[in-house]
Amino acid sequence: MSETELFQAVAAHRWLQSLRLRPNLLTPGMAPEARLVAEERALLDPLNLTGADVLEVGAANGFFSFAARRRGAARVVATDHLAWTLPGADAQSATQWAAHALNLEVETIPLDPRSLSADFGSFHVVLGTAFCEQLFNPIQALRGLRSVTNRVLVLETLQAELADPRPMMTAQNQIMPFGGADGSWISGWAPNPALMLQLLLDLGFNRVLYRTHPTLGTTRGIYAALLPEAPDGLLAGFETPWINMTAPATG
Amino acid sequence: MTLPASRLSDEDLRARMQQFHWWHSMVLRPGVTTFGGKAEELLAQEEEAFLAPFNLTGRTVIDVGAWNGFFSFAAKRRGARRVLATDSYTWTHPSFRGREAFELARDELGLDVEALHLDPTEIDEKVGLFDVVLFIGVFYHLYDPIDALQRLRGITRQLLLVETHQDLMEKPSPGMVFYPGAILNHDATNWWGPNPGLMLHLLLQLGFTRIFYRDHPVLGRARGTYAAFTPEVEAGLIQQLGPPWLDLDVPGAVEDLLARA
Repeated sequence: MSETELFQAVAAHRWLQSLRLRPNLLTPGMAPEARLVAEERALLDPLNLTGADVLEVGAANGFFSFAARRRGAARVVATDHLAWTLPGADAQSATQWAAHALNLEVETIPLDPRSLSADFGSFHVVLGTAFCEQLFNPIQALRGLRSVTNRVLVLETLQAELADPRPMMTAQNQIMPFGGADGSWISGWAPNPALMLQLLLDLGFNRVLYRTHPTLGTTRGIYAALLPEAPDGLLAGFETPWINMTAPATG
Repeated sequence: MTLPASRLSDEDLRARMQQFHWWHSMVLRPGVTTFGGKAEELLAQEEEAFLAPFNLTGRTVIDVGAWNGFFSFAAKRRGARRVLATDSYTWTHPSFRGREAFELARDELGLDVEALHLDPTEIDEKVGLFDVVLFIGVFYHLYDPIDALQRLRGITRQLLLVETHQDLMEKPSPGMVFYPGAILNHDATNWWGPNPGLMLHLLLQLGFTRIFYRDHPVLGRARGTYAAFTPEVEAGLIQQLGPPWLDLDVPGAVEDLLARA
Protein backbone atom coordinates (compact mmCIF):
# COMPACT_ATOMS: atom_id res chain seq x y z
CA MET A 1 0.00 0.00 0.00
CA SER A 2 1.44 3.32 -1.05
CA GLU A 3 0.99 6.45 1.01
CA THR A 4 -1.17 7.85 -1.78
CA GLU A 5 -3.46 4.81 -1.58
CA LEU A 6 -3.67 5.20 2.18
CA PHE A 7 -4.65 8.87 1.99
CA GLN A 8 -7.24 8.00 -0.67
CA ALA A 9 -8.67 5.21 1.51
CA VAL A 10 -8.96 7.54 4.47
CA ALA A 11 -10.75 10.11 2.33
CA ALA A 12 -13.11 7.48 0.92
CA HIS A 13 -14.47 6.32 4.30
CA ARG A 14 -16.73 7.88 6.90
CA TRP A 15 -14.80 7.65 10.17
CA LEU A 16 -16.30 7.21 13.62
CA GLN A 17 -13.01 7.51 15.49
CA SER A 18 -9.95 9.70 15.01
CA LEU A 19 -7.05 7.31 14.45
CA ARG A 20 -3.50 8.53 14.00
CA LEU A 21 -2.31 6.38 11.12
CA ARG A 22 0.78 8.48 10.41
CA PRO A 23 2.29 11.47 12.22
CA ASN A 24 0.62 13.67 9.59
CA LEU A 25 -2.50 11.56 9.00
CA LEU A 26 -5.39 11.56 11.45
CA THR A 27 -8.66 10.02 10.32
CA PRO A 28 -11.47 12.61 10.50
CA GLY A 29 -13.51 10.73 13.09
CA MET A 30 -16.41 11.99 15.16
CA ALA A 31 -14.69 10.92 18.38
CA PRO A 32 -11.69 13.26 18.85
CA GLU A 33 -8.25 11.81 19.38
CA ALA A 34 -7.72 13.44 22.77
CA ARG A 35 -10.90 11.87 24.16
CA LEU A 36 -10.04 8.47 22.77
CA VAL A 37 -6.54 8.61 24.23
CA ALA A 38 -7.97 9.52 27.64
CA GLU A 39 -10.52 6.68 27.35
CA GLU A 40 -7.80 4.22 26.41
CA ARG A 41 -5.84 5.10 29.52
CA ALA A 42 -8.94 4.82 31.71
CA LEU A 43 -10.02 1.51 30.20
CA LEU A 44 -6.73 -0.29 29.73
CA ASP A 45 -4.08 1.19 32.07
CA PRO A 46 -5.31 -0.91 35.04
CA LEU A 47 -4.78 -4.15 33.11
CA ASN A 48 -1.65 -5.98 32.00
CA LEU A 49 -2.64 -7.22 28.56
CA THR A 50 0.62 -8.98 27.75
CA GLY A 51 -0.27 -12.32 26.17
CA ALA A 52 -4.01 -11.82 26.72
CA ASP A 53 -6.82 -12.76 24.35
CA VAL A 54 -9.04 -9.70 23.95
CA LEU A 55 -12.50 -9.31 22.42
CA GLU A 56 -13.91 -5.88 21.69
CA VAL A 57 -17.62 -5.42 20.98
CA GLY A 58 -18.81 -2.21 19.39
CA ALA A 59 -15.31 -1.55 18.09
CA ALA A 60 -16.35 1.21 15.62
CA ASN A 61 -12.99 1.83 13.87
CA GLY A 62 -10.98 -0.30 16.29
CA PHE A 63 -9.19 2.36 18.31
CA PHE A 64 -9.21 0.31 21.52
CA SER A 65 -8.50 -2.98 19.72
CA PHE A 66 -5.38 -1.44 18.20
CA ALA A 67 -4.44 -0.11 21.64
CA ALA A 68 -4.83 -3.59 23.14
CA ARG A 69 -2.56 -5.06 20.47
CA ARG A 70 0.04 -2.37 21.09
CA ARG A 71 -0.17 -3.18 24.80
CA GLY A 72 0.89 -6.77 24.12
CA ALA A 73 -2.34 -8.71 23.68
CA ALA A 74 -1.68 -12.01 21.92
CA ARG A 75 -4.96 -12.05 20.03
CA VAL A 76 -7.43 -9.23 19.47
CA VAL A 77 -10.85 -9.71 17.87
CA ALA A 78 -12.65 -6.48 16.99
CA THR A 79 -16.38 -6.77 16.40
CA ASP A 80 -19.26 -4.43 15.75
CA HIS A 81 -22.87 -4.85 14.78
CA LEU A 82 -24.83 -1.81 13.60
CA ALA A 83 -21.85 0.32 12.55
CA TRP A 84 -20.57 -2.54 10.42
CA THR A 85 -23.80 -4.00 9.07
CA LEU A 86 -26.42 -1.28 8.54
CA PRO A 87 -26.96 -0.39 4.86
CA GLY A 88 -24.16 1.84 3.70
CA ALA A 89 -22.05 1.30 6.82
CA ASP A 90 -18.37 1.17 5.94
CA ALA A 91 -16.75 1.17 9.37
CA GLN A 92 -15.51 -2.43 9.11
CA SER A 93 -13.73 -1.65 5.87
CA ALA A 94 -12.28 1.50 7.45
CA THR A 95 -11.07 -0.57 10.41
CA GLN A 96 -9.36 -3.05 8.13
CA TRP A 97 -7.61 -0.22 6.27
CA ALA A 98 -6.47 1.21 9.60
CA ALA A 99 -5.14 -2.16 10.79
CA HIS A 100 -3.20 -2.46 7.58
CA ALA A 101 -1.82 1.04 7.85
CA LEU A 102 -0.83 0.53 11.50
CA ASN A 103 0.61 -2.92 10.77
CA LEU A 104 -1.39 -4.38 13.66
CA GLU A 105 -2.92 -7.82 13.43
CA VAL A 106 -6.53 -7.48 14.56
CA GLU A 107 -9.33 -9.80 13.43
CA THR A 108 -12.56 -8.06 12.40
CA ILE A 109 -15.89 -9.90 12.67
CA PRO A 110 -19.41 -8.40 12.37
CA LEU A 111 -21.23 -9.50 15.50
CA ASP A 112 -24.47 -8.79 17.37
CA PRO A 113 -23.47 -9.16 21.05
CA ARG A 114 -26.95 -10.50 21.84
CA SER A 115 -26.11 -13.59 19.80
CA LEU A 116 -22.84 -14.30 21.62
CA SER A 117 -22.43 -17.71 23.21
CA ALA A 118 -19.51 -19.77 24.49
CA ASP A 119 -19.19 -21.26 20.99
CA PHE A 120 -17.62 -17.96 19.89
CA GLY A 121 -14.60 -18.52 22.10
CA SER A 122 -13.21 -17.51 25.46
CA PHE A 123 -11.33 -14.30 26.15
CA HIS A 124 -9.30 -13.06 29.09
CA VAL A 125 -10.57 -9.53 28.56
CA VAL A 126 -13.83 -8.49 26.91
CA LEU A 127 -14.25 -4.78 26.21
CA GLY A 128 -17.36 -2.85 25.22
CA THR A 129 -17.61 0.93 24.82
CA ALA A 130 -20.71 3.07 24.19
CA PHE A 131 -22.41 -0.11 25.35
CA CYS A 132 -25.94 0.21 26.72
CA GLU A 133 -26.93 3.26 24.69
CA GLN A 134 -26.80 1.33 21.44
CA LEU A 135 -28.60 -1.83 22.56
CA PHE A 136 -32.35 -2.43 22.62
CA ASN A 137 -31.73 -5.29 25.03
CA PRO A 138 -28.61 -4.80 27.18
CA ILE A 139 -29.69 -7.59 29.55
CA GLN A 140 -29.38 -10.12 26.74
CA ALA A 141 -26.14 -8.57 25.47
CA LEU A 142 -24.55 -8.72 28.94
CA ARG A 143 -25.37 -12.43 29.12
CA GLY A 144 -23.70 -12.86 25.75
CA LEU A 145 -20.56 -11.03 26.89
CA ARG A 146 -20.43 -13.07 30.09
CA SER A 147 -20.49 -16.28 28.07
CA VAL A 148 -17.19 -15.43 26.36
CA THR A 149 -15.37 -13.80 29.31
CA ASN A 150 -12.98 -15.86 31.40
CA ARG A 151 -11.34 -13.11 33.50
CA VAL A 152 -12.43 -9.47 33.12
CA LEU A 153 -15.28 -7.60 31.44
CA VAL A 154 -14.68 -3.87 30.88
CA LEU A 155 -17.65 -1.73 29.90
CA GLU A 156 -18.08 1.96 29.13
CA THR A 157 -21.62 3.30 28.85
CA LEU A 158 -23.92 6.26 28.96
CA GLN A 159 -25.51 6.53 32.38
CA ALA A 160 -28.28 8.43 34.14
CA GLU A 161 -30.11 8.76 37.46
CA LEU A 162 -26.90 8.57 39.47
CA ALA A 163 -28.42 10.29 42.48
CA ASP A 164 -31.17 7.68 42.79
CA PRO A 165 -30.12 4.76 45.01
CA ARG A 166 -32.61 2.44 43.29
CA PRO A 167 -31.12 0.30 40.51
CA MET A 168 -32.71 1.53 37.28
CA MET A 169 -32.23 2.34 33.64
CA THR A 170 -33.83 4.87 31.36
CA ALA A 171 -34.53 4.30 27.69
CA GLN A 172 -33.69 6.69 24.90
CA ASN A 173 -33.34 6.97 21.16
CA GLN A 174 -30.36 8.58 19.52
CA ILE A 175 -29.31 9.13 15.96
CA MET A 176 -26.15 7.33 14.92
CA PRO A 177 -23.96 8.48 12.04
CA PHE A 178 -24.30 5.36 9.89
CA GLY A 179 -26.92 3.38 8.00
CA GLY A 180 -27.86 5.98 5.41
CA ALA A 181 -27.15 9.59 4.55
CA ASP A 182 -29.23 10.88 7.47
CA GLY A 183 -28.02 8.26 9.93
CA SER A 184 -30.18 5.79 11.85
CA TRP A 185 -32.24 6.06 15.01
CA ILE A 186 -30.94 3.59 17.57
CA SER A 187 -32.86 2.62 20.70
CA GLY A 188 -30.80 2.08 23.82
CA TRP A 189 -30.47 2.61 27.56
CA ALA A 190 -28.70 4.60 30.25
CA PRO A 191 -28.33 2.51 33.44
CA ASN A 192 -27.24 3.89 36.80
CA PRO A 193 -24.27 2.36 38.68
CA ALA A 194 -26.58 0.66 41.18
CA LEU A 195 -28.18 -1.31 38.34
CA MET A 196 -24.91 -2.16 36.60
CA LEU A 197 -23.58 -3.56 39.89
CA GLN A 198 -26.62 -5.82 40.33
CA LEU A 199 -26.63 -7.06 36.74
CA LEU A 200 -22.91 -7.85 36.84
CA LEU A 201 -23.16 -9.64 40.19
CA ASP A 202 -26.11 -11.68 38.89
CA LEU A 203 -23.92 -12.79 35.98
CA GLY A 204 -21.36 -14.27 38.36
CA PHE A 205 -18.79 -11.47 38.52
CA ASN A 206 -17.72 -11.13 42.15
CA ARG A 207 -15.68 -7.91 42.10
CA VAL A 208 -16.98 -4.82 40.31
CA LEU A 209 -14.97 -1.62 39.97
CA TYR A 210 -16.30 1.70 38.74
CA ARG A 211 -15.14 5.12 37.65
CA THR A 212 -16.60 8.01 35.75
CA HIS A 213 -15.45 8.98 32.27
CA PRO A 214 -12.05 10.74 32.17
CA THR A 215 -13.23 13.67 30.05
CA LEU A 216 -17.06 13.49 30.00
CA GLY A 217 -17.46 13.04 33.76
CA THR A 218 -20.58 11.60 35.33
CA THR A 219 -22.54 11.38 32.08
CA ARG A 220 -20.70 8.14 31.40
CA GLY A 221 -19.49 5.27 33.57
CA ILE A 222 -16.74 2.69 33.23
CA TYR A 223 -16.96 -0.72 34.88
CA ALA A 224 -14.44 -3.52 35.31
CA ALA A 225 -16.08 -6.76 36.41
CA LEU A 226 -13.87 -9.63 37.55
CA LEU A 227 -14.84 -13.29 37.57
CA PRO A 228 -13.86 -15.49 40.53
CA GLU A 229 -11.12 -16.97 38.29
CA ALA A 230 -9.38 -13.56 38.09
CA PRO A 231 -6.69 -13.24 40.77
CA ASP A 232 -7.00 -10.54 43.43
CA GLY A 233 -3.67 -9.19 42.20
CA LEU A 234 -5.56 -7.68 39.27
CA LEU A 235 -7.19 -5.23 41.65
CA ALA A 236 -3.86 -3.48 42.25
CA GLY A 237 -4.07 -1.76 38.87
CA PHE A 238 -7.33 -0.02 39.70
CA GLU A 239 -6.15 3.12 41.44
CA THR A 240 -8.13 6.27 42.23
CA PRO A 241 -10.53 7.36 40.73
CA TRP A 242 -11.61 3.75 40.47
CA ILE A 243 -13.73 2.55 43.36
CA ASN A 244 -14.42 -1.06 44.30
CA MET A 245 -18.22 -1.31 44.42
CA THR A 246 -17.99 -4.76 46.01
CA ALA A 247 -15.46 -3.97 48.72
CA PRO A 248 -16.80 -4.59 52.25
CA ALA A 249 -17.88 -1.38 53.95
CA THR A 250 -15.37 -0.16 56.50
CA GLY A 251 -15.75 1.88 59.65
CA MET B 1 -67.46 -24.86 22.21
CA THR B 2 -68.60 -26.10 25.61
CA LEU B 3 -67.66 -29.62 26.51
CA PRO B 4 -69.61 -31.95 28.77
CA ALA B 5 -68.97 -31.06 32.42
CA SER B 6 -67.22 -33.55 34.69
CA ARG B 7 -69.26 -35.93 36.77
CA LEU B 8 -67.37 -35.60 40.06
CA SER B 9 -69.55 -35.24 43.13
CA ASP B 10 -69.33 -31.90 44.96
CA GLU B 11 -67.41 -33.68 47.70
CA ASP B 12 -64.94 -35.28 45.29
CA LEU B 13 -64.48 -31.99 43.43
CA ARG B 14 -63.70 -30.13 46.66
CA ALA B 15 -61.24 -32.87 47.64
CA ARG B 16 -59.43 -32.51 44.28
CA MET B 17 -59.42 -28.72 44.60
CA GLN B 18 -57.74 -28.93 48.00
CA GLN B 19 -54.74 -30.65 46.43
CA PHE B 20 -53.68 -27.41 44.75
CA HIS B 21 -52.73 -23.85 45.68
CA TRP B 22 -55.17 -21.65 43.76
CA TRP B 23 -54.54 -18.10 42.56
CA HIS B 24 -57.79 -17.48 40.69
CA SER B 25 -61.06 -17.66 42.63
CA MET B 26 -63.54 -19.21 40.26
CA VAL B 27 -67.02 -20.67 40.69
CA LEU B 28 -66.67 -24.13 39.19
CA ARG B 29 -70.29 -25.07 39.87
CA PRO B 30 -73.00 -23.57 42.11
CA GLY B 31 -71.69 -23.64 45.66
CA VAL B 32 -68.16 -24.75 44.69
CA THR B 33 -65.54 -21.99 44.41
CA THR B 34 -61.76 -22.37 44.21
CA PHE B 35 -60.99 -19.56 46.73
CA GLY B 36 -57.67 -18.45 45.27
CA GLY B 37 -55.36 -15.64 46.32
CA LYS B 38 -57.22 -13.31 43.97
CA ALA B 39 -60.83 -12.70 45.00
CA GLU B 40 -63.72 -13.44 42.67
CA GLU B 41 -64.87 -9.81 42.78
CA LEU B 42 -61.42 -8.47 41.89
CA LEU B 43 -61.12 -10.87 38.97
CA ALA B 44 -64.56 -9.89 37.72
CA GLN B 45 -63.50 -6.23 37.67
CA GLU B 46 -60.22 -7.12 35.95
CA GLU B 47 -62.02 -9.17 33.31
CA GLU B 48 -64.35 -6.27 32.62
CA ALA B 49 -61.43 -3.81 32.44
CA PHE B 50 -59.09 -5.96 30.35
CA LEU B 51 -61.42 -7.85 27.99
CA ALA B 52 -64.73 -5.97 27.68
CA PRO B 53 -63.28 -3.31 25.31
CA PHE B 54 -62.65 -5.98 22.69
CA ASN B 55 -64.86 -8.17 20.54
CA LEU B 56 -63.27 -11.57 20.87
CA THR B 57 -65.90 -13.39 18.83
CA GLY B 58 -64.18 -15.68 16.37
CA ARG B 59 -60.67 -14.52 17.39
CA THR B 60 -57.67 -16.60 18.35
CA VAL B 61 -56.26 -15.85 21.80
CA ILE B 62 -53.12 -16.94 23.64
CA ASP B 63 -52.90 -16.39 27.39
CA VAL B 64 -49.23 -16.17 28.40
CA GLY B 65 -48.90 -16.90 32.11
CA ALA B 66 -52.40 -18.36 32.45
CA TRP B 67 -51.89 -19.97 35.90
CA ASN B 68 -55.35 -21.31 36.83
CA GLY B 69 -56.82 -20.08 33.56
CA PHE B 70 -59.31 -17.40 34.62
CA PHE B 71 -58.62 -15.10 31.65
CA SER B 72 -58.38 -18.01 29.21
CA PHE B 73 -61.82 -19.18 30.31
CA ALA B 74 -63.15 -15.62 30.14
CA ALA B 75 -61.85 -15.21 26.58
CA LYS B 76 -63.52 -18.46 25.57
CA ARG B 77 -66.81 -17.43 27.15
CA ARG B 78 -66.55 -14.15 25.25
CA GLY B 79 -66.62 -15.99 21.98
CA ALA B 80 -62.99 -16.62 21.08
CA ARG B 81 -62.73 -19.32 18.42
CA ARG B 82 -59.50 -20.74 19.80
CA VAL B 83 -57.86 -20.13 23.19
CA LEU B 84 -54.42 -21.44 24.09
CA ALA B 85 -53.47 -21.21 27.78
CA THR B 86 -49.72 -21.32 28.43
CA ASP B 87 -47.61 -21.23 31.56
CA SER B 88 -44.41 -22.65 32.96
CA TYR B 89 -43.45 -21.42 36.42
CA THR B 90 -46.81 -21.86 38.15
CA TRP B 91 -47.66 -24.99 36.19
CA THR B 92 -44.53 -26.83 37.29
CA HIS B 93 -44.25 -25.35 40.80
CA PRO B 94 -44.45 -28.28 43.25
CA SER B 95 -46.85 -26.46 45.59
CA PHE B 96 -48.93 -24.53 43.08
CA ARG B 97 -49.40 -27.48 40.67
CA GLY B 98 -50.98 -24.91 38.40
CA ARG B 99 -51.35 -27.14 35.34
CA GLU B 100 -53.36 -29.73 37.23
CA ALA B 101 -55.48 -27.01 38.83
CA PHE B 102 -56.05 -25.42 35.42
CA GLU B 103 -57.11 -28.76 33.93
CA LEU B 104 -59.45 -29.51 36.81
CA ALA B 105 -61.13 -26.12 36.37
CA ARG B 106 -61.28 -26.43 32.57
CA ASP B 107 -62.81 -29.89 32.72
CA GLU B 108 -65.30 -28.84 35.35
CA LEU B 109 -66.30 -25.73 33.38
CA GLY B 110 -66.45 -27.77 30.19
CA LEU B 111 -64.61 -25.13 28.15
CA ASP B 112 -62.62 -26.02 25.04
CA VAL B 113 -59.36 -24.29 26.01
CA GLU B 114 -56.04 -25.77 24.89
CA ALA B 115 -53.05 -25.98 27.22
CA LEU B 116 -49.36 -25.80 26.38
CA HIS B 117 -46.41 -25.82 28.74
CA LEU B 118 -44.42 -22.84 27.47
CA ASP B 119 -42.12 -20.40 29.22
CA PRO B 120 -42.34 -16.79 27.93
CA THR B 121 -38.57 -16.85 27.42
CA GLU B 122 -38.99 -19.63 24.85
CA ILE B 123 -41.90 -18.29 22.81
CA ASP B 124 -41.23 -18.06 19.11
CA GLU B 125 -43.06 -18.24 15.82
CA LYS B 126 -43.47 -22.00 16.14
CA VAL B 127 -46.39 -21.42 18.54
CA GLY B 128 -48.24 -19.60 15.74
CA LEU B 129 -49.86 -16.18 15.30
CA PHE B 130 -52.75 -15.05 17.50
CA ASP B 131 -55.21 -12.21 17.05
CA VAL B 132 -54.94 -11.39 20.75
CA VAL B 133 -52.04 -12.03 23.11
CA LEU B 134 -52.77 -11.73 26.84
CA PHE B 135 -49.73 -10.98 29.03
CA ILE B 136 -51.37 -10.32 32.37
CA GLY B 137 -49.26 -10.04 35.53
CA VAL B 138 -46.10 -11.49 34.00
CA PHE B 139 -43.86 -8.66 32.67
CA TYR B 140 -42.39 -7.76 36.06
CA HIS B 141 -41.74 -11.40 36.97
CA LEU B 142 -39.21 -11.77 34.16
CA TYR B 143 -35.50 -11.01 34.53
CA ASP B 144 -35.42 -10.05 30.85
CA PRO B 145 -38.86 -8.63 30.01
CA ILE B 146 -37.47 -6.86 26.93
CA ASP B 147 -36.78 -10.21 25.30
CA ALA B 148 -40.22 -11.51 26.25
CA LEU B 149 -41.98 -8.49 24.72
CA GLN B 150 -39.96 -8.92 21.55
CA ARG B 151 -41.00 -12.57 21.38
CA LEU B 152 -44.65 -11.70 21.98
CA ARG B 153 -44.57 -9.12 19.19
CA GLY B 154 -43.60 -11.96 16.87
CA ILE B 155 -46.79 -13.91 17.61
CA THR B 156 -49.24 -10.97 17.77
CA ARG B 157 -51.50 -10.46 14.76
CA GLN B 158 -53.64 -7.63 16.18
CA LEU B 159 -53.48 -6.89 19.90
CA LEU B 160 -50.99 -7.42 22.72
CA LEU B 161 -52.54 -6.73 26.12
CA VAL B 162 -49.90 -6.18 28.82
CA GLU B 163 -50.87 -5.77 32.47
CA THR B 164 -48.05 -5.05 34.91
CA HIS B 165 -46.87 -3.71 38.23
CA GLN B 166 -45.34 -0.28 37.63
CA ASP B 167 -43.00 2.15 39.35
CA LEU B 168 -41.10 5.42 38.75
CA MET B 169 -44.42 7.18 38.31
CA GLU B 170 -42.79 10.49 39.20
CA LYS B 171 -40.76 10.38 35.97
CA PRO B 172 -42.29 11.01 32.53
CA SER B 173 -39.10 9.85 30.84
CA PRO B 174 -39.07 6.12 30.06
CA GLY B 175 -37.45 4.02 32.75
CA MET B 176 -37.67 0.90 34.84
CA VAL B 177 -36.52 0.01 38.33
CA PHE B 178 -34.78 -3.27 39.14
CA TYR B 179 -35.62 -5.15 42.33
CA PRO B 180 -32.70 -7.29 43.55
CA GLY B 181 -33.53 -10.27 45.70
CA ALA B 182 -36.99 -10.09 47.21
CA ILE B 183 -37.20 -6.36 47.93
CA LEU B 184 -40.53 -5.93 46.12
CA ASN B 185 -43.29 -7.45 48.25
CA HIS B 186 -40.88 -10.04 49.69
CA ASP B 187 -41.18 -11.93 46.41
CA ALA B 188 -37.94 -13.05 44.75
CA THR B 189 -39.78 -13.48 41.43
CA ASN B 190 -40.39 -9.72 41.10
CA TRP B 191 -37.67 -8.12 38.97
CA TRP B 192 -38.73 -4.89 37.24
CA GLY B 193 -41.05 -1.93 37.69
CA PRO B 194 -41.53 -0.01 34.41
CA ASN B 195 -43.26 3.36 34.11
CA PRO B 196 -45.82 4.27 31.40
CA GLY B 197 -43.21 6.16 29.37
CA LEU B 198 -41.08 3.04 29.24
CA MET B 199 -43.92 0.73 28.24
CA LEU B 200 -44.89 3.17 25.50
CA HIS B 201 -41.27 3.32 24.30
CA LEU B 202 -40.82 -0.46 24.20
CA LEU B 203 -44.13 -1.15 22.47
CA LEU B 204 -43.52 1.52 19.81
CA GLN B 205 -39.99 0.26 19.21
CA LEU B 206 -41.40 -3.21 18.66
CA GLY B 207 -43.65 -1.97 15.87
CA PHE B 208 -46.97 -1.55 17.62
CA THR B 209 -48.52 1.60 16.19
CA ARG B 210 -51.34 2.45 18.59
CA ILE B 211 -50.95 2.17 22.37
CA PHE B 212 -53.81 2.70 24.84
CA TYR B 213 -53.45 2.75 28.62
CA ARG B 214 -55.62 2.48 31.70
CA ASP B 215 -54.99 2.26 35.45
CA HIS B 216 -55.94 -0.91 37.26
CA PRO B 217 -59.69 -0.89 37.99
CA VAL B 218 -59.13 -1.46 41.72
CA LEU B 219 -55.45 -0.89 42.49
CA GLY B 220 -55.15 2.32 40.49
CA ARG B 221 -51.83 3.62 39.18
CA ALA B 222 -49.81 0.91 40.98
CA ARG B 223 -50.58 -1.31 38.03
CA GLY B 224 -51.13 -0.42 34.40
CA THR B 225 -52.75 -2.10 31.42
CA TYR B 226 -51.48 -1.43 27.92
CA ALA B 227 -53.40 -2.33 24.75
CA ALA B 228 -50.88 -2.34 21.92
CA PHE B 229 -52.19 -2.69 18.38
CA THR B 230 -50.35 -3.80 15.28
CA PRO B 231 -50.85 -1.97 11.98
CA GLU B 232 -52.95 -4.96 10.88
CA VAL B 233 -55.62 -4.54 13.59
CA GLU B 234 -59.17 -4.96 12.30
CA ALA B 235 -61.65 -2.22 13.21
CA GLY B 236 -64.08 -4.82 14.52
CA LEU B 237 -61.74 -5.96 17.30
CA ILE B 238 -62.28 -2.78 19.30
CA GLN B 239 -65.74 -2.35 20.83
CA GLN B 240 -65.01 0.71 22.93
CA LEU B 241 -61.83 2.27 24.28
CA GLY B 242 -63.24 5.36 25.93
CA PRO B 243 -62.29 6.66 29.38
CA PRO B 244 -60.58 5.48 31.50
CA TRP B 245 -58.54 4.27 28.52
CA LEU B 246 -56.10 6.91 27.31
CA ASP B 247 -54.49 7.17 23.89
CA LEU B 248 -50.83 7.03 24.95
CA ASP B 249 -49.13 7.38 21.56
CA VAL B 250 -49.83 11.09 21.10
CA PRO B 251 -47.47 13.90 22.15
CA GLY B 252 -47.79 14.82 25.81
CA ALA B 253 -50.01 11.87 26.73
CA VAL B 254 -47.62 10.42 29.31
CA GLU B 255 -47.14 13.82 30.95
CA ASP B 256 -50.93 14.31 31.05
CA LEU B 257 -51.39 10.90 32.61
CA LEU B 258 -48.83 11.56 35.34
CA ALA B 259 -50.34 14.98 36.07
CA ARG B 260 -53.60 13.20 36.89
CA ALA B 261 -52.07 11.29 39.77
